[in-house]
Amino acid sequence: MKALDKLSSHLRTRLVDLRRAKEQGRKIVGYTPGGYLPEELVLACGAIPICLIRGGDHAPVELSGAYICRWIDTFCRAQIGYGVSGDDPYYGIVDLLAIPITDNHIRAISDVLDYNTNIEIFPFGVPHMKEKVAFDYYLHGITRLKARLEELTGVEITDSKLREAISLCNRERELLKEISLMRQSQPAPISGKDFVALNHGSFLADKRIMVETLESVYNELKEQSAPASEGPRILLTGSTLAMGDYRVIETVEAAGGAIVIEEFAEGIRPYWEKVKASGDVMAALADCYFTRRAPPGWFRPGKERRDFLIKLAKDFNVAGVIWYQLMYRESYKTESYYFPSLLKRETGLPMLTLESDYDQAETEQLRTRIETFIETIRR
Amino acid sequence: MANYYDALLKLCGFEDDEIKREKSRIDRAFRKLELGPEDMKKAERWVSENHDVELLGVRKLLRAWLMELIDLELAREEGKKIVYYGYPSIPGPGMAIKAAADLAGVDIYCGCPDVVLCHTLGQIFNKLSPVLEAGEQNGLPPGHGLCSLQQIRNGGLAKGIISVPDLVTGSSYYCDMGSKADELLHERYGHRAIYVDGSMDSRWGEYPDYQPERVEFLGAQLNKLFATVSEVLGVEVNTQAWDKSMDTSRALYSALGRLTRLMTADPVPVSYVEAGLALQLTAGSTGRSMTEGPQAVSILCDEVEKRVERGVGVVEKGAPTVLILIAPFSDPSVIRMIENAGLAITTGIYSVPPKKHPPTTYTTLGEIRAEREMRDGYYHSNFGIAKRVEEAVNDLKVDGVLWGYIYNCRPLAETSHTVKKWVEENTGVPVLSLEIDAYDSRNYSAAALRTRVEAFAEMLRDRKASAKA
Repeated sequence: MKALDKLSSHLRTRLVDLRRAKEQGRKIVGYTPGGYLPEELVLACGAIPICLIRGGDHAPVELSGAYICRWIDTFCRAQIGYGVSGDDPYYGIVDLLAIPITDNHIRAISDVLDYNTNIEIFPFGVPHMKEKVAFDYYLHGITRLKARLEELTGVEITDSKLREAISLCNRERELLKEISLMRQSQPAPISGKDFVALNHGSFLADKRIMVETLESVYNELKEQSAPASEGPRILLTGSTLAMGDYRVIETVEAAGGAIVIEEFAEGIRPYWEKVKASGDVMAALADCYFTRRAPPGWFRPGKERRDFLIKLAKDFNVAGVIWYQLMYRESYKTESYYFPSLLKRETGLPMLTLESDYDQAETEQLRTRIETFIETIRR
Repeated sequence: MANYYDALLKLCGFEDDEIKREKSRIDRAFRKLELGPEDMKKAERWVSENHDVELLGVRKLLRAWLMELIDLELAREEGKKIVYYGYPSIPGPGMAIKAAADLAGVDIYCGCPDVVLCHTLGQIFNKLSPVLEAGEQNGLPPGHGLCSLQQIRNGGLAKGIISVPDLVTGSSYYCDMGSKADELLHERYGHRAIYVDGSMDSRWGEYPDYQPERVEFLGAQLNKLFATVSEVLGVEVNTQAWDKSMDTSRALYSALGRLTRLMTADPVPVSYVEAGLALQLTAGSTGRSMTEGPQAVSILCDEVEKRVERGVGVVEKGAPTVLILIAPFSDPSVIRMIENAGLAITTGIYSVPPKKHPPTTYTTLGEIRAEREMRDGYYHSNFGIAKRVEEAVNDLKVDGVLWGYIYNCRPLAETSHTVKKWVEENTGVPVLSLEIDAYDSRNYSAAALRTRVEAFAEMLRDRKASAKA
């Protein structure tokens, strides 16, 4: 796909571009994934948002052992490893690291990096329930962030600048959604791996280039002839799908399965809802980023997310669900126990639960389990 | 006719006439717990080996825990409404709910069942493993760093040894695991679960400052809990109930304060195993802790005071003093091992006398309580914990800190390295970061920890001797 090649080429030189932008006085604002950081705020003050989404490699996880015990989520330990070692150049380039505190694992990143590095950390809370008081607290957090960004950049975030950024980000979400919805057709016109590459690309790419890329992909997909056939359709869900953590996707696709929809707390940009243009702009951001999105597993009660997963499974007509979680993320581990029976009851679908600590030693076990699962549902 | 449990209960401070009076309840509770004659014999040995039963106060504390266990077991069949709260929970609401029920004449059981089971099936019967295994088989498997306390509650419900409650509540922001486990149980049993949410989003270094919105958010959540209690139990948790709970708990806290002061004597007069039995009463119970706790702790204090006068201690005079995080709830062996290594445990961080705060300007019960949480530090942030440890080290002038972080408790696991580094850098006092499980003794071995503790003790002795020279 030509557009994807163009995106890859853009991402290859992204760091150089960012360094150049920084030299020219632009600020780089990093953030942790989870979908609770309104990039519009960063764009509206002329700064560049970068999501620190890299993962899948065990080396930084091991490095983190000098700063925190092992009983923290693998992706979060990896971020600690990247952050303290400087092995991920994106950590070295950010002027501010905004961390929406979603659970204790993400809080660990915030505290360990704040204490052990010179990175300026800006944590703000994401409550775990969708109530009015929780909405107000989230709104308060992003309002504090807005003030800090204005101070950092010296640029006032006006409503008009914010609306302009919202329009751009809405377009990105809209295109991701349209491309994703295309996958409801059988066979799906784009592979899971390519869709995830697009979604991950959106965390790092220049926003305008990303929108252009998505438009090109959308047009290419509309014009291309559909693939002849596909294997069993899979919903892939779980706690975190980091950039570089492609082992499960690759193994599923190599085994003949087709990932046609993904839902992750971290690592898949939420794209189902757009920010509403009317009314108070900050409240509109909070409404989209906090209230109207499907919540991650650390919300309680978790019914809304589980219902959303079941809806996705039905809408995308999948043959099975693969639940991929990282070690020690207790919210997902606990849910993985009772979700399969709910899924079975509502859809009759089977679920395979996989866990990873980004250890290469897991690869062959994962392969065996995935291949068996695909073979089972193929029948 | 003698009962199969008489010897154990007497060892645990029961009187003959009391056993007679409570016989029917004891029989039913032990039947439910599947505790037979063999278990009593083993428990007698376990208690004698691990508890300082020559002290009447210790025996009375064991009795208070056993009575709490019996109350827990029989709550449903005795027609009580049942409220479970989580550990660690925001202190106070459980007591206030109990007080509100008492004022309204509603008979309720309000407690933390997992903490009760730890201090009884663990500390007294050494028979917690089947409950843990049941918890593991019912949704909280081993090997994933899941909370053992939640496994115990889950296992207790799965085995039918504790009743399905009318209402559960727990902190939904300090601990993700508790709320998620509450949800798991809610899915299975259908009882009402109230998640008290909040956000620990302070920066490292921010304590004692905090965003006032944190208090407003948490305060509103606590007020929501009280409103739900009113709906479910038909009792109103108001200022009157709050004041009553404060009045009721004053005697216990006063006795615990006295015990905490006595623990600073040189030599340390009683094992921290026994202090833990007293100090954790408030974590597990709103019933027996209040009706029998103050007297049991007072008796213990009188006895300990005599030991102090006589210069009797559980470690040598002049032994290095250490601050610990917490005494394991279900297993006395780690504390015994530390004391056998020659370290004098003076206190746990959660037993350090609370800070004095200026008067509050908040008006609702929830906000007043939430403000207290921010000010006390432990639920403020990891930095709040580090600062409180630093302050405790300076105030108590201890020689070292044994930071036995609980590996499967995420909020404490996060502090594994940062507390050590911060406290050592800011006080010069050595900190040993030790990975333990406070509730499940299968997850560690005191003997395996011994080498590190002994080396640490040796180092502290050397430092102390050098300082003297």
